[in-house]
Amino acid sequence: MTETTDNVKREDLVVTRILDAPLALVWKAWTDPEHVKRWWGPKHYTSPTCKIDLREGGKYVFCMRAPEDQGGQDSYTAGVFKKIVPMERLEFTQSLSDRDGNKIDPVQVGMPPDFPREIRTVVIFKAKGDMTELTITEYDWPVSQMSVYSYAGMHQSIDKLAESLAKG
Amino acid sequence: MNTITLSALAEPNRLRIVELLRENPYPVGEIAKRLVLRQPQVSKHLRILSDAGLVKVHPAAQQRIYQLQAKPFKELDGWLETFRRIWETRMDNLDEYLQELKEEQKRGKK
Repeated sequence: MTETTDNVKREDLVVTRILDAPLALVWKAWTDPEHVKRWWGPKHYTSPTCKIDLREGGKYVFCMRAPEDQGGQDSYTAGVFKKIVPMERLEFTQSLSDRDGNKIDPVQVGMPPDFPREIRTVVIFKAKGDMTELTITEYDWPVSQMSVYSYAGMHQSIDKLAESLAKG
Repeated sequence: MNTITLSALAEPNRLRIVELLRENPYPVGEIAKRLVLRQPQVSKHLRILSDAGLVKVHPAAQQRIYQLQAKPFKELDGWLETFRRIWETRMDNLDEYLQELKEEQKRGKK
């Protein structure tokens, strides 16, 4: 946990996942826009455009379109590649953005006041035989957000418990 | 998502109050004592939490007991679920897509 100048405590979010595909293919799926369009967005969303300038200091802009029954609106995520080690490591930032990839203020689109304007993200690629292990770290989420997460988590465990009890 | 819920929770002391009330409903004096806050300050926070529908007050004898309300938290939960699961879902999508790509490659080689 680190403490930054604004005195908000921050914590990192880490996700590890083993994918059943060789490293070269996984790398391609992460770095080729035509591939990224196929999986980055939430389920049932489509992606009309994705631009990736794959070099350190290069920018990406990803557009996702909500399903018709959820309004069909477009939203954008953009960022800058900070470090690229082919087949090993990708470091980039993530921000909510407009269609040109300019950052927008999260509060204006209904996010809470301490929602990060920019999330630093590191993805580590590791071959595990014919499979690939990915470790994704998102740095410096404000802790109040995390506490709300854990609150939600608690509710869920309770709901699950209630379900299992109901099934008897 | 209801931004009133989120901004009510975004203040650190209000979040502490919510976390305390998670254990048990308490009167304002008890909340102030346990969190080492001044009572007027706690009252102010409780008013905001109450306006946001996060807590409800129950009169009991001479006291007013503050209790968390489940509904806004369930709404928040639904919203956060989509949020928290972004990476999990994204990795599911990626895994499925990689299987498609592998199939395509196999067919391509034939």
